[in-house]
Amino acid sequence: MNPAVVELDLRAFEPPQPLMKTLEAIVTLPADAMLQIHTRWRPALLYAELEKRGFIGESQEQSDGSCITHIRRA
Amino acid sequence: MEAALPISAAPDVRGSQPKQVRATAPSVSLPLRFMLTALVALFGAVAWIIANPSILAIYHYHQHVIAATHLVVLGFICTVVMGAMYQLVPVALETKLYSERLAKWQFVIHVIGFVGMVWMFNVWNMKQVGHFGSALALGVGLFVYNLARTLWRVPKWNIVATAITAALVWFSLTIFVGLSIAAAKCAYEATEGLATEEGVKQVVGGLRVVAGVVSRFDAIGAMHAHAHLGVVGFFVMLIVGVAYRLIPMFTLTEVQCKYRAGLSIVLLNIGIAGSVVTILLRSQWKPVFAATVVAGLAIFVWELWAMLRARKRPALDWGLKSFLAAVGMLIPVCILALVLSWPSLPMNQFFGMLENVYGFLGLFGVVTLAILGMLHKILPFLVWFGVYSPHVGRAQLPLTSQMVSERAQAGGLVTYLVGLLIISVAILRESEPGVRLGGLFLLVSLGLFGRNAVKVFSHFRNPQIKPLIAAKPAAV
Repeated sequence: MNPAVVELDLRAFEPPQPLMKTLEAIVTLPADAMLQIHTRWRPALLYAELEKRGFIGESQEQSDGSCITHIRRA
Repeated sequence: MEAALPISAAPDVRGSQPKQVRATAPSVSLPLRFMLTALVALFGAVAWIIANPSILAIYHYHQHVIAATHLVVLGFICTVVMGAMYQLVPVALETKLYSERLAKWQFVIHVIGFVGMVWMFNVWNMKQVGHFGSALALGVGLFVYNLARTLWRVPKWNIVATAITAALVWFSLTIFVGLSIAAAKCAYEATEGLATEEGVKQVVGGLRVVAGVVSRFDAIGAMHAHAHLGVVGFFVMLIVGVAYRLIPMFTLTEVQCKYRAGLSIVLLNIGIAGSVVTILLRSQWKPVFAATVVAGLAIFVWELWAMLRARKRPALDWGLKSFLAAVGMLIPVCILALVLSWPSLPMNQFFGMLENVYGFLGLFGVVTLAILGMLHKILPFLVWFGVYSPHVGRAQLPLTSQMVSERAQAGGLVTYLVGLLIISVAILRESEPGVRLGGLFLLVSLGLFGRNAVKVFSHFRNPQIKPLIAAKPAAV
Protein backbone atom coordinates (compact mmCIF):
# COMPACT_ATOMS: atom_id res chain seq x y z
CA MET A 1 0.00 0.00 0.00
CA ASN A 2 1.32 3.45 -0.92
CA PRO A 3 1.98 5.75 2.05
CA ALA A 4 -0.19 8.80 2.69
CA VAL A 5 1.10 12.07 1.27
CA VAL A 6 1.24 15.45 2.96
CA GLU A 7 1.35 18.13 0.28
CA LEU A 8 2.89 21.60 0.52
CA ASP A 9 2.68 24.21 -2.20
CA LEU A 10 5.71 26.48 -1.70
CA ARG A 11 5.67 28.34 -5.00
CA ALA A 12 4.61 31.59 -3.35
CA PHE A 13 7.71 31.86 -1.18
CA GLU A 14 11.13 33.30 -1.94
CA PRO A 15 14.35 31.64 -0.71
CA PRO A 16 15.08 30.50 1.94
CA GLN A 17 11.45 30.06 3.04
CA PRO A 18 10.71 26.94 0.96
CA LEU A 19 13.71 25.29 2.64
CA MET A 20 12.56 26.41 6.09
CA LYS A 21 8.98 25.29 5.61
CA THR A 22 10.03 21.91 4.23
CA LEU A 23 12.41 21.18 7.08
CA GLU A 24 9.80 22.32 9.58
CA ALA A 25 7.23 20.03 7.96
CA ILE A 26 9.35 16.89 8.18
CA VAL A 27 9.63 17.32 11.97
CA THR A 28 5.93 16.57 12.34
CA LEU A 29 5.66 14.17 9.42
CA PRO A 30 4.04 10.89 10.55
CA ALA A 31 6.36 7.91 10.37
CA ASP A 32 4.53 6.23 7.50
CA ALA A 33 3.81 9.37 5.45
CA MET A 34 5.54 11.03 2.54
CA LEU A 35 5.91 14.80 2.07
CA GLN A 36 5.33 16.21 -1.39
CA ILE A 37 6.50 19.78 -1.99
CA HIS A 38 5.82 21.93 -5.04
CA THR A 39 8.51 24.60 -5.61
CA ARG A 40 9.27 27.05 -8.41
CA TRP A 41 12.68 25.44 -8.97
CA ARG A 42 14.61 22.32 -8.07
CA PRO A 43 15.38 22.79 -4.36
CA ALA A 44 19.14 22.63 -4.80
CA LEU A 45 20.11 23.24 -1.16
CA LEU A 46 17.46 20.97 0.33
CA TYR A 47 18.84 17.51 -0.44
CA ALA A 48 21.93 17.73 1.79
CA GLU A 49 19.83 19.09 4.67
CA LEU A 50 17.34 16.26 4.25
CA GLU A 51 20.11 13.67 4.35
CA LYS A 52 21.46 15.13 7.59
CA ARG A 53 18.00 14.56 9.08
CA GLY A 54 17.60 11.00 7.79
CA PHE A 55 15.34 11.80 4.82
CA ILE A 56 15.76 11.61 1.08
CA GLY A 57 14.14 13.72 -1.61
CA GLU A 58 13.54 12.95 -5.26
CA SER A 59 12.51 15.69 -7.63
CA GLN A 60 10.60 15.73 -10.89
CA GLU A 61 10.61 18.83 -13.04
CA GLN A 62 7.21 19.85 -14.36
CA SER A 63 6.41 21.15 -17.83
CA ASP A 64 6.02 24.72 -16.47
CA GLY A 65 9.56 24.65 -15.00
CA SER A 66 8.38 24.12 -11.43
CA CYS A 67 9.43 21.08 -9.45
CA ILE A 68 7.66 18.45 -7.37
CA THR A 69 9.83 16.75 -4.75
CA HIS A 70 8.82 13.64 -2.85
CA ILE A 71 10.44 13.35 0.57
CA ARG A 72 10.49 10.21 2.65
CA ARG A 73 12.52 8.71 5.46
CA ALA A 74 15.72 7.09 4.29
CA MET B 1 0.07 31.39 2.89
CA GLU B 2 1.34 27.88 3.46
CA ALA B 3 -0.97 25.50 1.70
CA ALA B 4 -1.24 22.13 3.36
CA LEU B 5 -3.35 20.30 0.82
CA PRO B 6 -5.47 17.23 1.45
CA ILE B 7 -3.67 13.98 1.89
CA SER B 8 -3.59 11.74 -1.13
CA ALA B 9 -2.08 8.42 -2.04
CA ALA B 10 1.62 8.62 -2.81
CA PRO B 11 2.82 8.06 -6.34
CA ASP B 12 5.42 5.35 -6.70
CA VAL B 13 8.57 7.41 -7.11
CA ARG B 14 11.09 4.66 -6.42
CA GLY B 15 13.04 3.35 -9.30
CA SER B 16 11.03 5.15 -11.94
CA GLN B 17 13.07 8.37 -12.26
CA PRO B 18 16.38 9.30 -13.80
CA LYS B 19 19.21 9.73 -11.34
CA GLN B 20 18.85 13.10 -9.65
CA VAL B 21 21.52 15.78 -9.92
CA ARG B 22 22.62 16.65 -6.42
CA ALA B 23 23.39 20.34 -6.50
CA THR B 24 25.39 21.51 -3.54
CA ALA B 25 26.69 24.94 -2.69
CA PRO B 26 30.25 25.31 -1.38
CA SER B 27 30.85 26.27 2.24
CA VAL B 28 29.55 29.80 2.90
CA SER B 29 33.02 30.84 4.11
CA LEU B 30 34.24 30.66 0.48
CA PRO B 31 31.99 33.36 -1.06
CA LEU B 32 32.06 35.41 2.14
CA ARG B 33 35.87 35.80 2.10
CA PHE B 34 35.65 37.15 -1.46
CA MET B 35 32.78 39.50 -0.58
CA LEU B 36 34.40 40.93 2.55
CA THR B 37 37.67 41.56 0.70
CA ALA B 38 35.71 43.22 -2.10
CA LEU B 39 33.91 45.55 0.30
CA VAL B 40 37.24 46.59 1.86
CA ALA B 41 38.52 47.39 -1.65
CA LEU B 42 35.41 49.44 -2.44
CA PHE B 43 35.76 51.45 0.78
CA GLY B 44 39.43 51.97 -0.11
CA ALA B 45 38.58 53.19 -3.62
CA VAL B 46 35.97 55.70 -2.42
CA ALA B 47 38.30 56.92 0.35
CA TRP B 48 40.99 57.35 -2.33
CA ILE B 49 38.62 59.48 -4.46
CA ILE B 50 37.91 61.70 -1.45
CA ALA B 51 41.60 62.00 -0.55
CA ASN B 52 42.67 62.60 -4.15
CA PRO B 53 39.65 63.91 -6.14
CA SER B 54 41.84 64.72 -9.14
CA ILE B 55 41.46 61.00 -9.99
CA LEU B 56 38.09 61.89 -11.50
CA ALA B 57 38.68 65.54 -12.32
CA ILE B 58 41.49 64.93 -14.83
CA TYR B 59 41.51 62.95 -18.10
CA HIS B 60 41.68 59.25 -17.31
CA TYR B 61 44.92 58.33 -19.09
CA HIS B 62 46.92 58.89 -15.92
CA GLN B 63 48.68 56.47 -13.56
CA HIS B 64 46.59 57.32 -10.47
CA VAL B 65 43.33 57.04 -12.39
CA ILE B 66 44.39 53.69 -13.82
CA ALA B 67 45.46 52.47 -10.36
CA ALA B 68 42.18 53.55 -8.72
CA THR B 69 40.16 52.06 -11.60
CA HIS B 70 41.90 48.71 -11.15
CA LEU B 71 41.18 48.86 -7.41
CA VAL B 72 37.48 49.15 -8.27
CA VAL B 73 37.37 46.63 -11.12
CA LEU B 74 39.77 44.01 -9.78
CA GLY B 75 39.57 44.67 -6.03
CA PHE B 76 35.84 45.19 -5.73
CA ILE B 77 33.93 44.05 -8.79
CA CYS B 78 36.00 41.02 -9.86
CA THR B 79 36.44 39.83 -6.28
CA VAL B 80 32.77 40.03 -5.38
CA VAL B 81 31.72 38.52 -8.72
CA MET B 82 34.11 35.59 -8.27
CA GLY B 83 32.80 34.86 -4.76
CA ALA B 84 29.19 35.18 -5.89
CA MET B 85 29.75 32.91 -8.89
CA TYR B 86 31.31 30.17 -6.79
CA GLN B 87 28.12 30.23 -4.72
CA LEU B 88 25.45 30.95 -7.32
CA VAL B 89 26.53 28.98 -10.37
CA PRO B 90 26.20 25.55 -8.70
CA VAL B 91 22.85 26.46 -7.12
CA ALA B 92 21.35 28.34 -10.07
CA LEU B 93 22.43 25.75 -12.61
CA GLU B 94 21.75 22.73 -10.39
CA THR B 95 25.21 21.28 -10.23
CA LYS B 96 28.25 21.16 -7.92
CA LEU B 97 31.35 23.38 -7.84
CA TYR B 98 34.22 21.46 -9.44
CA SER B 99 36.77 22.26 -6.71
CA GLU B 100 36.36 24.32 -3.54
CA ARG B 101 40.05 23.85 -2.73
CA LEU B 102 41.07 25.37 -6.06
CA ALA B 103 38.79 28.32 -5.34
CA LYS B 104 40.50 28.91 -1.98
CA TRP B 105 43.92 28.99 -3.64
CA GLN B 106 42.58 31.27 -6.34
CA PHE B 107 41.43 33.73 -3.68
CA VAL B 108 44.96 34.04 -2.26
CA ILE B 109 46.54 34.47 -5.70
CA HIS B 110 43.87 36.97 -6.75
CA VAL B 111 44.38 39.17 -3.68
CA ILE B 112 48.19 39.18 -4.12
CA GLY B 113 47.71 39.96 -7.82
CA PHE B 114 45.29 42.86 -7.55
CA VAL B 115 46.93 44.51 -4.54
CA GLY B 116 50.33 44.37 -6.28
CA MET B 117 48.90 45.64 -9.57
CA VAL B 118 47.16 48.63 -7.97
CA TRP B 119 50.30 49.51 -6.04
CA MET B 120 52.53 49.24 -9.11
CA PHE B 121 50.13 51.14 -11.38
CA ASN B 122 50.17 53.92 -8.79
CA VAL B 123 53.97 54.21 -8.94
CA TRP B 124 53.87 53.40 -12.70
CA ASN B 125 56.25 50.46 -12.60
CA MET B 126 54.92 48.58 -15.60
CA LYS B 127 57.38 45.70 -15.28
CA GLN B 128 56.01 44.92 -11.82
CA VAL B 129 52.46 45.50 -13.08
CA GLY B 130 53.23 42.72 -15.55
CA HIS B 131 54.55 40.44 -12.79
CA PHE B 132 51.59 40.97 -10.45
CA GLY B 133 49.29 40.89 -13.48
CA SER B 134 50.68 37.46 -14.33
CA ALA B 135 49.83 36.29 -10.80
CA LEU B 136 46.33 37.71 -11.21
CA ALA B 137 46.05 36.02 -14.61
CA LEU B 138 47.03 32.70 -13.02
CA GLY B 139 44.20 33.21 -10.50
CA VAL B 140 41.77 34.09 -13.28
CA GLY B 141 42.89 30.96 -15.13
CA LEU B 142 42.07 28.84 -12.07
CA PHE B 143 38.72 30.63 -11.68
CA VAL B 144 37.75 30.12 -15.33
CA TYR B 145 38.94 26.49 -15.26
CA ASN B 146 36.97 25.77 -12.07
CA LEU B 147 33.79 27.31 -13.46
CA ALA B 148 34.23 25.76 -16.90
CA ARG B 149 34.47 22.31 -15.27
CA THR B 150 31.42 23.21 -13.18
CA LEU B 151 29.46 24.35 -16.27
CA TRP B 152 30.46 21.11 -17.99
CA ARG B 153 28.34 19.25 -15.41
CA VAL B 154 25.22 21.38 -15.90
CA PRO B 155 22.39 18.93 -16.56
CA LYS B 156 20.17 21.35 -18.50
CA TRP B 157 21.76 24.10 -20.57
CA ASN B 158 19.87 27.41 -20.59
CA ILE B 159 20.27 31.10 -21.32
CA VAL B 160 21.92 31.78 -17.94
CA ALA B 161 24.61 29.17 -18.60
CA THR B 162 25.18 30.67 -22.06
CA ALA B 163 25.60 34.18 -20.63
CA ILE B 164 28.01 32.93 -17.93
CA THR B 165 30.08 31.06 -20.50
CA ALA B 166 30.24 34.12 -22.75
CA ALA B 167 31.23 36.28 -19.78
CA LEU B 168 34.07 33.88 -18.90
CA VAL B 169 35.38 34.02 -22.48
CA TRP B 170 35.31 37.84 -22.49
CA PHE B 171 36.96 37.88 -19.06
CA SER B 172 39.81 35.66 -20.25
CA LEU B 173 40.30 37.92 -23.29
CA THR B 174 40.27 41.01 -21.04
CA ILE B 175 43.10 39.63 -18.95
CA PHE B 176 45.08 38.61 -22.05
CA VAL B 177 44.69 42.05 -23.62
CA GLY B 178 45.56 43.77 -20.32
CA LEU B 179 48.75 41.74 -19.95
CA SER B 180 49.60 42.41 -23.61
CA ILE B 181 49.25 46.16 -23.03
CA ALA B 182 51.52 45.90 -19.98
CA ALA B 183 53.99 43.83 -22.01
CA ALA B 184 54.01 46.44 -24.77
CA LYS B 185 55.10 49.04 -22.25
CA CYS B 186 57.90 47.05 -20.62
CA ALA B 187 59.04 44.12 -22.76
CA TYR B 188 62.22 45.78 -24.00
CA GLU B 189 63.28 46.69 -20.50
CA ALA B 190 62.36 43.22 -19.22
CA THR B 191 64.71 41.43 -21.58
CA GLU B 192 67.78 43.10 -20.10
CA GLY B 193 69.64 40.72 -17.79
CA LEU B 194 66.77 38.26 -17.61
CA ALA B 195 67.02 36.25 -20.80
CA THR B 196 69.69 33.87 -19.58
CA GLU B 197 67.63 30.77 -18.99
CA GLU B 198 65.93 28.96 -21.86
CA GLY B 199 62.41 29.15 -20.30
CA VAL B 200 62.77 32.83 -19.48
CA LYS B 201 64.05 33.50 -23.00
CA GLN B 202 60.94 31.93 -24.46
CA VAL B 203 58.61 33.91 -22.20
CA VAL B 204 60.43 37.15 -22.92
CA GLY B 205 60.47 36.32 -26.62
CA GLY B 206 56.70 35.76 -26.51
CA LEU B 207 56.24 39.06 -24.69
CA ARG B 208 58.28 40.81 -27.39
CA VAL B 209 55.99 39.42 -30.10
CA VAL B 210 52.87 40.46 -28.17
CA ALA B 211 54.39 43.87 -27.46
CA GLY B 212 55.15 44.29 -31.17
CA VAL B 213 51.53 43.57 -32.09
CA VAL B 214 50.00 45.79 -29.38
CA SER B 215 52.32 48.71 -30.10
CA ARG B 216 50.80 48.96 -33.62
CA PHE B 217 47.64 50.31 -31.99
CA ASP B 218 47.41 53.62 -30.17
CA ALA B 219 47.67 53.34 -26.39
CA ILE B 220 44.32 54.96 -25.55
CA GLY B 221 42.44 52.86 -28.11
CA ALA B 222 43.98 49.67 -26.66
CA MET B 223 43.11 50.79 -23.11
CA HIS B 224 39.49 51.57 -24.10
CA ALA B 225 39.14 48.22 -25.89
CA HIS B 226 40.50 46.44 -22.78
CA ALA B 227 38.07 48.37 -20.54
CA HIS B 228 35.03 47.59 -22.71
CA LEU B 229 35.97 43.91 -22.89
CA GLY B 230 36.03 43.72 -19.11
CA VAL B 231 33.16 45.99 -18.15
CA VAL B 232 30.65 45.16 -20.88
CA GLY B 233 31.88 41.68 -21.79
CA PHE B 234 32.32 40.34 -18.28
CA PHE B 235 30.42 42.50 -15.79
CA VAL B 236 27.40 43.65 -17.82
CA MET B 237 27.03 40.25 -19.49
CA LEU B 238 26.94 38.61 -16.06
CA ILE B 239 24.47 41.14 -14.66
CA VAL B 240 22.13 40.53 -17.59
CA GLY B 241 22.52 36.73 -17.54
CA VAL B 242 22.24 36.29 -13.79
CA ALA B 243 19.24 38.67 -13.64
CA TYR B 244 17.32 36.14 -15.75
CA ARG B 245 17.67 33.79 -12.79
CA LEU B 246 17.76 36.02 -9.70
CA ILE B 247 14.89 38.38 -10.59
CA PRO B 248 12.46 35.45 -11.02
CA MET B 249 13.80 33.92 -7.79
CA PHE B 250 13.40 37.06 -5.68
CA THR B 251 10.18 38.47 -7.17
CA LEU B 252 8.43 35.16 -7.87
CA THR B 253 8.06 35.50 -11.60
CA GLU B 254 9.29 33.75 -14.75
CA VAL B 255 11.22 34.73 -17.85
CA GLN B 256 8.31 35.87 -20.03
CA CYS B 257 9.87 35.32 -23.45
CA LYS B 258 12.87 33.01 -23.80
CA TYR B 259 13.42 34.19 -27.37
CA ARG B 260 13.69 37.81 -26.16
CA ALA B 261 16.09 36.85 -23.37
CA GLY B 262 18.22 34.87 -25.81
CA LEU B 263 18.24 37.71 -28.33
CA SER B 264 19.52 40.14 -25.70
CA ILE B 265 22.50 37.88 -25.01
CA VAL B 266 23.21 37.33 -28.73
CA LEU B 267 23.12 41.08 -29.49
CA LEU B 268 25.33 41.83 -26.49
CA ASN B 269 27.92 39.33 -27.71
CA ILE B 270 27.90 40.64 -31.29
CA GLY B 271 28.05 44.22 -30.03
CA ILE B 272 30.95 43.55 -27.66
CA ALA B 273 33.01 41.72 -30.30
CA GLY B 274 32.43 44.48 -32.83
CA SER B 275 32.93 47.33 -30.36
CA VAL B 276 36.26 46.01 -29.13
CA VAL B 277 37.65 45.63 -32.65
CA THR B 278 36.32 49.00 -33.86
CA ILE B 279 37.53 50.82 -30.74
CA LEU B 280 40.98 49.27 -31.15
CA LEU B 281 41.13 50.23 -34.84
CA ARG B 282 39.41 53.62 -34.30
CA SER B 283 37.02 52.51 -37.02
CA GLN B 284 34.06 54.48 -38.35
CA TRP B 285 31.89 51.42 -37.61
CA LYS B 286 32.06 52.08 -33.85
CA PRO B 287 28.49 53.51 -33.61
CA VAL B 288 27.02 50.44 -35.33
CA PHE B 289 28.37 48.07 -32.69
CA ALA B 290 27.69 50.50 -29.84
CA ALA B 291 24.08 50.57 -31.06
CA THR B 292 24.07 46.74 -31.15
CA VAL B 293 25.10 46.62 -27.47
CA VAL B 294 22.46 49.24 -26.66
CA ALA B 295 19.85 47.20 -28.56
CA GLY B 296 20.80 44.10 -26.53
CA LEU B 297 20.45 46.05 -23.29
CA ALA B 298 17.14 47.59 -24.41
CA ILE B 299 15.76 44.11 -25.05
CA PHE B 300 17.03 43.01 -21.63
CA VAL B 301 15.19 45.94 -20.01
CA TRP B 302 12.06 45.04 -22.02
CA GLU B 303 12.19 41.46 -20.70
CA LEU B 304 12.95 42.68 -17.17
CA TRP B 305 9.90 44.94 -17.34
CA ALA B 306 7.75 42.03 -18.56
CA MET B 307 9.05 39.78 -15.75
CA LEU B 308 8.34 42.42 -13.12
CA ARG B 309 4.83 43.03 -14.44
CA ALA B 310 4.10 39.31 -14.08
CA ARG B 311 5.61 39.00 -10.60
CA LYS B 312 3.61 37.42 -7.79
CA ARG B 313 5.39 39.32 -5.02
CA PRO B 314 4.11 42.90 -5.34
CA ALA B 315 6.48 44.61 -2.89
CA LEU B 316 10.04 45.25 -4.04
CA ASP B 317 12.63 45.34 -1.26
CA TRP B 318 15.51 47.81 -1.21
CA GLY B 319 17.97 45.33 -2.65
CA LEU B 320 15.82 44.96 -5.74
CA LYS B 321 15.15 48.72 -5.88
CA SER B 322 18.93 49.31 -5.88
CA PHE B 323 19.35 46.77 -8.67
CA LEU B 324 16.59 48.43 -10.70
CA ALA B 325 18.15 51.86 -10.09
CA ALA B 326 21.38 50.44 -11.55
CA VAL B 327 19.43 49.21 -14.58
CA GLY B 328 17.96 52.72 -14.88
CA MET B 329 21.50 54.12 -14.95
CA LEU B 330 21.95 52.22 -18.22
CA ILE B 331 19.95 55.02 -19.90
CA PRO B 332 22.51 57.83 -19.44
CA VAL B 333 25.40 55.38 -19.92
CA CYS B 334 23.97 54.09 -23.23
CA ILE B 335 23.29 57.63 -24.47
CA LEU B 336 26.88 58.57 -23.63
CA ALA B 337 28.16 55.42 -25.36
CA LEU B 338 26.31 56.32 -28.57
CA VAL B 339 27.53 59.94 -28.46
CA LEU B 340 31.15 59.04 -27.67
CA SER B 341 31.28 56.33 -30.34
CA TRP B 342 30.65 58.93 -33.05
CA PRO B 343 33.76 58.81 -35.27
CA SER B 344 34.00 62.51 -36.14
CA LEU B 345 33.71 63.66 -32.55
CA PRO B 346 36.25 66.39 -31.75
CA MET B 347 38.71 65.17 -29.11
CA ASN B 348 38.64 68.23 -26.88
CA GLN B 349 38.58 68.81 -23.12
CA PHE B 350 34.77 68.62 -22.87
CA PHE B 351 34.47 65.27 -24.65
CA GLY B 352 37.50 63.97 -22.71
CA MET B 353 35.69 64.69 -19.45
CA LEU B 354 32.49 63.23 -20.91
CA GLU B 355 34.47 59.99 -21.32
CA ASN B 356 35.28 60.21 -17.60
CA VAL B 357 31.57 60.57 -16.77
CA TYR B 358 30.79 57.60 -19.05
CA GLY B 359 33.39 55.42 -17.33
CA PHE B 360 32.43 56.58 -13.84
CA LEU B 361 28.69 56.02 -14.39
CA GLY B 362 29.35 52.68 -16.06
CA LEU B 363 31.45 51.41 -13.14
CA PHE B 364 29.77 53.07 -10.16
CA GLY B 365 26.30 53.80 -11.55
CA VAL B 366 25.56 50.50 -13.26
CA VAL B 367 27.93 47.73 -12.19
CA THR B 368 28.72 48.65 -8.57
CA LEU B 369 25.14 49.67 -7.74
CA ALA B 370 23.75 46.48 -9.31
CA ILE B 371 26.21 44.42 -7.25
CA LEU B 372 25.41 46.29 -4.02
CA GLY B 373 21.70 45.69 -4.70
CA MET B 374 22.26 41.97 -5.14
CA LEU B 375 24.55 41.87 -2.09
CA HIS B 376 21.59 43.17 -0.03
CA LYS B 377 19.92 39.88 -0.93
CA ILE B 378 22.89 37.49 -1.09
CA LEU B 379 24.81 38.42 2.11
CA PRO B 380 21.87 37.83 4.52
CA PHE B 381 21.06 34.58 2.72
CA LEU B 382 24.63 33.27 2.96
CA VAL B 383 24.93 34.15 6.64
CA TRP B 384 21.47 32.80 7.36
CA PHE B 385 22.33 29.54 5.61
CA GLY B 386 25.68 29.27 7.39
CA VAL B 387 24.27 29.99 10.87
CA TYR B 388 20.75 28.65 10.83
CA SER B 389 20.43 25.79 8.32
CA PRO B 390 21.32 23.12 10.96
CA HIS B 391 18.53 24.47 13.20
CA VAL B 392 15.71 24.70 10.67
CA GLY B 393 12.69 22.77 11.84
CA ARG B 394 14.19 22.45 15.32
CA ALA B 395 13.95 26.06 16.53
CA GLN B 396 12.35 29.42 15.73
CA LEU B 397 14.67 31.32 13.42
CA PRO B 398 14.73 34.86 12.02
CA LEU B 399 13.84 35.54 8.39
CA THR B 400 16.54 37.02 6.15
CA SER B 401 14.46 40.21 5.92
CA GLN B 402 14.69 40.56 9.71
CA MET B 403 18.50 40.48 9.60
CA VAL B 404 18.85 43.88 7.89
CA SER B 405 17.75 47.45 8.51
CA GLU B 406 15.48 48.65 5.70
CA ARG B 407 16.03 52.26 6.76
CA ALA B 408 19.77 51.88 6.30
CA GLN B 409 19.19 50.29 2.89
CA ALA B 410 16.86 53.10 1.79
CA GLY B 411 19.22 55.80 3.10
CA GLY B 412 22.12 54.05 1.42
CA LEU B 413 20.45 54.07 -1.99
CA VAL B 414 19.40 57.73 -1.79
CA THR B 415 22.85 58.97 -0.69
CA TYR B 416 24.50 56.81 -3.33
CA LEU B 417 22.37 58.32 -6.12
CA VAL B 418 23.04 61.84 -4.82
CA GLY B 419 26.78 61.05 -4.77
CA LEU B 420 26.63 59.80 -8.38
CA LEU B 421 24.88 62.99 -9.51
CA ILE B 422 27.28 65.34 -7.70
CA ILE B 423 30.38 63.54 -8.98
CA SER B 424 29.08 63.42 -12.57
CA VAL B 425 28.49 67.19 -12.59
CA ALA B 426 31.82 67.81 -10.82
CA ILE B 427 33.71 65.76 -13.43
CA LEU B 428 32.24 67.86 -16.25
CA ARG B 429 33.17 71.04 -14.36
CA GLU B 430 36.60 69.56 -13.49
CA SER B 431 35.83 70.48 -9.90
CA GLU B 432 37.93 68.66 -7.30
CA PRO B 433 35.85 69.96 -4.33
CA GLY B 434 32.73 68.73 -6.14
CA VAL B 435 34.23 65.27 -6.64
CA ARG B 436 35.24 65.23 -2.96
CA LEU B 437 31.70 66.19 -1.88
CA GLY B 438 30.16 63.50 -4.07
CA GLY B 439 32.73 61.03 -2.74
CA LEU B 440 31.60 61.83 0.80
CA PHE B 441 28.02 60.96 -0.15
CA LEU B 442 29.24 57.66 -1.60
CA LEU B 443 31.18 57.03 1.61
CA VAL B 444 28.09 57.68 3.75
CA SER B 445 26.15 55.29 1.53
CA LEU B 446 28.83 52.61 1.90
CA GLY B 447 28.87 53.29 5.66
CA LEU B 448 25.16 52.48 5.78
CA PHE B 449 25.82 49.37 3.70
CA GLY B 450 28.64 48.44 6.08
CA ARG B 451 26.37 48.96 9.09
CA ASN B 452 23.90 46.53 7.60
CA ALA B 453 26.69 44.07 6.78
CA VAL B 454 27.88 44.20 10.41
CA LYS B 455 24.30 43.59 11.56
CA VAL B 456 24.08 40.58 9.25
CA PHE B 457 27.47 39.16 10.29
CA SER B 458 26.60 39.63 13.99
CA HIS B 459 24.39 36.53 13.61
CA PHE B 460 27.57 34.44 13.51
CA ARG B 461 28.42 35.62 17.04
CA ASN B 462 24.90 36.02 18.41
CA PRO B 463 22.53 33.68 16.63
CA GLN B 464 18.88 34.43 17.33
CA ILE B 465 17.57 30.95 18.00
CA LYS B 466 14.41 30.52 20.05
CA PRO B 467 12.84 27.24 21.12
CA LEU B 468 9.98 25.96 18.98
CA ILE B 469 6.47 26.43 20.21
CA ALA B 470 5.03 22.94 20.74
CA ALA B 471 3.88 21.85 17.31
CA LYS B 472 0.89 19.72 16.53
CA PRO B 473 1.61 16.60 14.48
CA ALA B 474 0.59 16.91 10.84
CA ALA B 475 -2.85 15.53 10.12
CA VAL B 476 -2.92 12.20 8.31
